Amino acid sequence: MELSSFLSMRHEILLLAITLLVLIGEIFIPENKKHSIVHMAIFLFGIHTITGFLPTVETSLFGGMFRTNGMIHFFKNVLNIGVFILLLQSADWLQEKVMVQNKGTEFFILLFSSLLGMYFMISSGDFLMFYLGLELSTLPVAALAAYETTNRKSSEAGIKLILSSALASGVSLFGISMLYATSGSIYFNDIIEMITSTDLTILGMILFFAGLAFKISLVPFHFWTADVYEGAPISIASYLSVISKGAAVFILMILLFTVMKPLMHVWENMIYVIAVLTMFIGNLFALRQQNMKRFLAFSSIAQAGFILLGLIAGNQLGTATIVYFVLIYIFSNLAAFGVVQAISLQTGKENIKDYEGLYRTNPNLSLVMMLALFSLAGIPPVAGFFGKFFLFTAAASEGYYLLVFLAVVNVTISLYYYLIVVRAMFLRKSDNPIPFFKNKVYMRLGLLITVIGILVLGLYSPLYDYIYNLSGIFN
Amino acid sequence: MERIIFYSIALIMVVFAIASVTSRKMLRSVIYLLFVLCGVAGIYFLIDYNFLAAIQLTVYAGGIIVLIIFSVLLVHHIEMQLEIAKLSRQILTAVACMVGLGIFLTTIYSHEFNVVENSRTTTTADIGSKLLSYEAGGFILPFEVISVLLLAAMIGAIIIAKGAKLTGKNDKAL
Repeated sequence: MELSSFLSMRHEILLLAITLLVLIGEIFIPENKKHSIVHMAIFLFGIHTITGFLPTVETSLFGGMFRTNGMIHFFKNVLNIGVFILLLQSADWLQEKVMVQNKGTEFFILLFSSLLGMYFMISSGDFLMFYLGLELSTLPVAALAAYETTNRKSSEAGIKLILSSALASGVSLFGISMLYATSGSIYFNDIIEMITSTDLTILGMILFFAGLAFKISLVPFHFWTADVYEGAPISIASYLSVISKGAAVFILMILLFTVMKPLMHVWENMIYVIAVLTMFIGNLFALRQQNMKRFLAFSSIAQAGFILLGLIAGNQLGTATIVYFVLIYIFSNLAAFGVVQAISLQTGKENIKDYEGLYRTNPNLSLVMMLALFSLAGIPPVAGFFGKFFLFTAAASEGYYLLVFLAVVNVTISLYYYLIVVRAMFLRKSDNPIPFFKNKVYMRLGLLITVIGILVLGLYSPLYDYIYNLSGIFN
Repeated sequence: MERIIFYSIALIMVVFAIASVTSRKMLRSVIYLLFVLCGVAGIYFLIDYNFLAAIQLTVYAGGIIVLIIFSVLLVHHIEMQLEIAKLSRQILTAVACMVGLGIFLTTIYSHEFNVVENSRTTTTADIGSKLLSYEAGGFILPFEVISVLLLAAMIGAIIIAKGAKLTGKNDKAL
């Protein structure tokens, strides 16, 4: 191994170093100064995010078990930005609710280990590393979902997440074992050469797909989503809906487009059906929700359905649009969850009804929320529109016109329920509105970055060209 | 001869596996599971994976089962019986399982596998050097990642088990 090998693994090494530093900090920082750990962790992670942007070279290490290239590197940076915003938004919650219980440091350790698992998962060059990455990214989150140990619903969320994810990864592992049985290797490069379309490989692919579909919460693997999002702390719900989902989509895309390319005639039909189901069920259930967290859970299921439109294209355009959409989705959804987090922290209110008259008391927050919802719905001036538009273009480029039509129908449905929230905030009057409050610095910074992202990403076209050029690697 | 041993081990495993999921007493299920795991070790011995068989016996049959027994004893009343599901639900589950089993068996049996002539037995030294090698076929990276996974799992378990014990003056509950 040479020094340059370490440089191409710097995301992993740095993050592990930060995790250990935080752990050491927990041991040596005296009891009355514990709150400084939050500042320390955010600061270190900020540095980590910035150093991630230094250029890298395409490499394959450990005999092909770990690989990285421009696209993987870029996606790790996207995840970093997401987690950084998330940390900013949860800083106040950590200080006020978690640090007093003396559990703050562990929050960072678990969150960072989970992110480390995602790095290894998207960088994996064989199924062993993929599986370990998947487990490392899921297990700590289950502990985080059950973090509010005094809250019954939070414990329920943790149990539900860990049981259903154990089942899903078991199913996925069974599928992987079938692929291994037919090709005799766990390395992606060997499997690409060996794989043919036989019954056993198809069955293996379907089982493998089911495991990842659970992580992305596609219908019919979505039953855990709403309950877990509702029970888990808001930071973790938004982590699950944004970061975890994004990483799973990315690795699923890489594997479908490279390793399982010969099975495309099977998985394109499968994804077609799942995409339609996911969009409709996500949207129709979102209509009926009263709780903001459940509402955002179903909205994120529906968004996952839209992502499948890029997946079904199976070409360079598909890769580029998926990565672009996930980037925008991270900003939009984090903005929405950020506002929910801020309001819940100040008042404890989480229902859509409580948001009535919010514009009169907290105009800034309601503007952020409005932008986020417009971006999720895909209304033209904001970034979400371009994300959806490109996804539809990708699907249409392969001739899936009916699917695109159904997706447009779904955009209309989703517009309706996103506007319900906007109407509650702006037009409705309430006898008992949420009183005015001022957010702390971290939260304001976290919301500001998301707003800039939502406004700028869609209009800054070189970014899309950059992603498009990077995506050639996987096709 | 090998065939006879294989089928008798397989029969034992299937019987105890079914007994393990149908038994209504937690502790009995665990003991039945122990026999299934021993059977797996037997099959490993049969195909000359001696190291893996030893690991299977010490870690799974030895360690994991004891762990499960401990947690059953700590959490549940041993006498507690699991409730019986409704008949309609039982039938539905049975049909679903049978259909699934049918699909898997027909696909696996209809596939022609490449037969690999592997007469060489792996020694512990081979496994040790593979675990520490970073060349192709080496497993140092997964080995290290598992250590992070275990650390995270341990911290996660501690933080949940720690519960709502509040420290210091701030005894404000969540």
